[in-house]
Amino acid sequence: MSDKKQSRIRRHRKVAYSLLSLLVLTLVLPLIPYAVAEKDETAGKVFNPGTELWRDVRQRDRDVIGTTQMKSVDAGVLINEYGETWRHFRMQQLVPYGAALMGIVLSIILLFYLLRGPLRLQEEPSGKKIERFTVFERTVHWFTVAIFWLLALTGLILLYGRFVLIPILGADGFGITASACKEAHNLFGPTFLVALVLLFLTFVKDNIYARGDMLWLLKGGGMLGGGHVSAGRFNAGEKIWFWIAIIGGLVLSVTGLILVFSILGQSREIMGLSHVLHGIVALVVISVSFGHIYLGTAGVEGTLGSMTTGYVDEAWAKSHHDRWYAEVKAAEDGSDKIVDEPGLATEGKS
Amino acid sequence: MAAMKFYCDAERCIECNGCVTACKNENEVPWGVNRRRVVTIKDGEPGERSLSVACMHCSDAPCAAVCPVDCFYTTDDGIVLHDKDICIGCGYCFYACPFGAPQFPKEGAFASRGKMDKCTFCAGGPLPDNSSEEYRKYGANRIAEGKLPACAEMCATKALLAGDADMVADIYRKRMVNRASAALGKGFQLREQNIGSGVDLKGKVTN
Ligand code: HEM
Ligand code: SF4
Ligand code: SF4
Ligand code: SF4
Repeated sequence: MSDKKQSRIRRHRKVAYSLLSLLVLTLVLPLIPYAVAEKDETAGKVFNPGTELWRDVRQRDRDVIGTTQMKSVDAGVLINEYGETWRHFRMQQLVPYGAALMGIVLSIILLFYLLRGPLRLQEEPSGKKIERFTVFERTVHWFTVAIFWLLALTGLILLYGRFVLIPILGADGFGITASACKEAHNLFGPTFLVALVLLFLTFVKDNIYARGDMLWLLKGGGMLGGGHVSAGRFNAGEKIWFWIAIIGGLVLSVTGLILVFSILGQSREIMGLSHVLHGIVALVVISVSFGHIYLGTAGVEGTLGSMTTGYVDEAWAKSHHDRWYAEVKAAEDGSDKIVDEPGLATEGKS
Repeated sequence: MAAMKFYCDAERCIECNGCVTACKNENEVPWGVNRRRVVTIKDGEPGERSLSVACMHCSDAPCAAVCPVDCFYTTDDGIVLHDKDICIGCGYCFYACPFGAPQFPKEGAFASRGKMDKCTFCAGGPLPDNSSEEYRKYGANRIAEGKLPACAEMCATKALLAGDADMVADIYRKRMVNRASAALGKGFQLREQNIGSGVDLKGKVTN
């Protein structure tokens, strides 16, 4: 090969390599920024100062608490994130669902009364009375009832007055009513806790789960199948109501006190949350209390006397609380022998 | 129907609290109540900004939606006012308000909430315009006198704008255009201007 030919081949090779590397570079070079960008996601983004500020104000990414000269609650918060949730809860859920719950419970009770009527005694009243509740027990019960209904009615007026009472009383008239209700509710709220503690101490010993309660529940308390189911001083239904009232009352008291003592400087979020719990529990306890009131008055013949006069007919005691009746009789006889749970063996007979 | 609005220009507010003082002075608001407050975000850090906030006179006001006694009303100027003779001080408007505007003097049993007080856009209340009773309960009624809110009028940097929403928007739009063109003319560098959050152009958080 001549030198000339060799240099030509070398030149061709150079051109080919140059072209190839050019091709590779044109393909690879534009990818470099992507490779870098993958490591650093935000590179190349221009941060709009307005957007950044309002994102902070709106608390999109994190809680931003500003500083301010004001000492009032949550003064450093520009946008109250929780407000809209709370508004939605109270206006779109608590108000309609609460009304529906109370309405449904009342309708069921009414329907039950119309279809089944009151539970009658199985024997003729004997005329012989036995003491069911002492004066102290009755006082505690009615004390709790009075405060509970004062709070329930004033609370319900605050919740539903705008829809029910403003059309009747007008805005000014209802303003006076609502103001009185709020003052009464806030003033007597704390006494409810006192009543609750007394109620608990007075009745808790007879409201502990006992053998036979499950059987009572399974038989629907004799309401569904007919016939009476054996029970002690309080049947399982009464025990459940006792615990709903105690635990519900406790939640109402704690949340209520958080709402009343706004002076302690708790945040809006805590107060909103307390209100949510307060509202739900109030409506549940009120609804369940309808059932309790029905059974204590029109629902079961001869029951009301136990809480008014303190005495019940022996026939009533035998029929509804046979084990308790036996205990009372045993105590009267002066014998300390343990009653052998007669109802369990012969349930339904009494 | 006009719609009265506030706008606080965060690029201008210098956190002097002049608006707060002007409001307290003009309306003689109750103890412990501030109808307006200035909140600073990222105090002492790059990107620090301050905003003056009071009732924003919402078009679809959450406070009015939750009030159990329905005592709010919106004037023809789009100003949200309430009737203190009806208010029971339950605090629900404060839970619902996005801006923490409703304030409560401490009164009565357990020093609980008294009747709610909030910014009236210096438009008084439902009582006769500029009567002494109106002044005592709601403060000044400058709107009835053809004046704008005291807080905005006081503002030294004109950060706080108050008035008809269209006019406020116009003023702010002009400011934005001016700012943008000034920035472009200078070969604007956001980072050099220290505008924005504490995030630099490479996306690193600097604070
Ligand atoms: C320790 C007891 C209680 C305290 C301290 C308490 C306190 C409060 C407070 C502060 C409010 C907010 C409204 C206001 O400022 O008046 C409220 C509302 C309410 N309370 Fe109570 N309360 C108590 C017990 C009860 C009970 C026993 C019931 C009913 C069974 C009840 C039902 C209600 C209802 C329905 C509302 C209205 C909720 C609304 O308007 O959204 N409260 N309570
Ligand atoms: S009090 Fe709050 S919710 Fe009501 S209009 Fe003013 S800013 Fe809106
Ligand atoms: S504090 Fe007064 S204005 Fe606010 S929701 Fe309650 S009653 Fe209405
Ligand atoms: S408009 Fe009037 S009431 Fe409202 S913050 Fe300004 S000075 Fe106070």
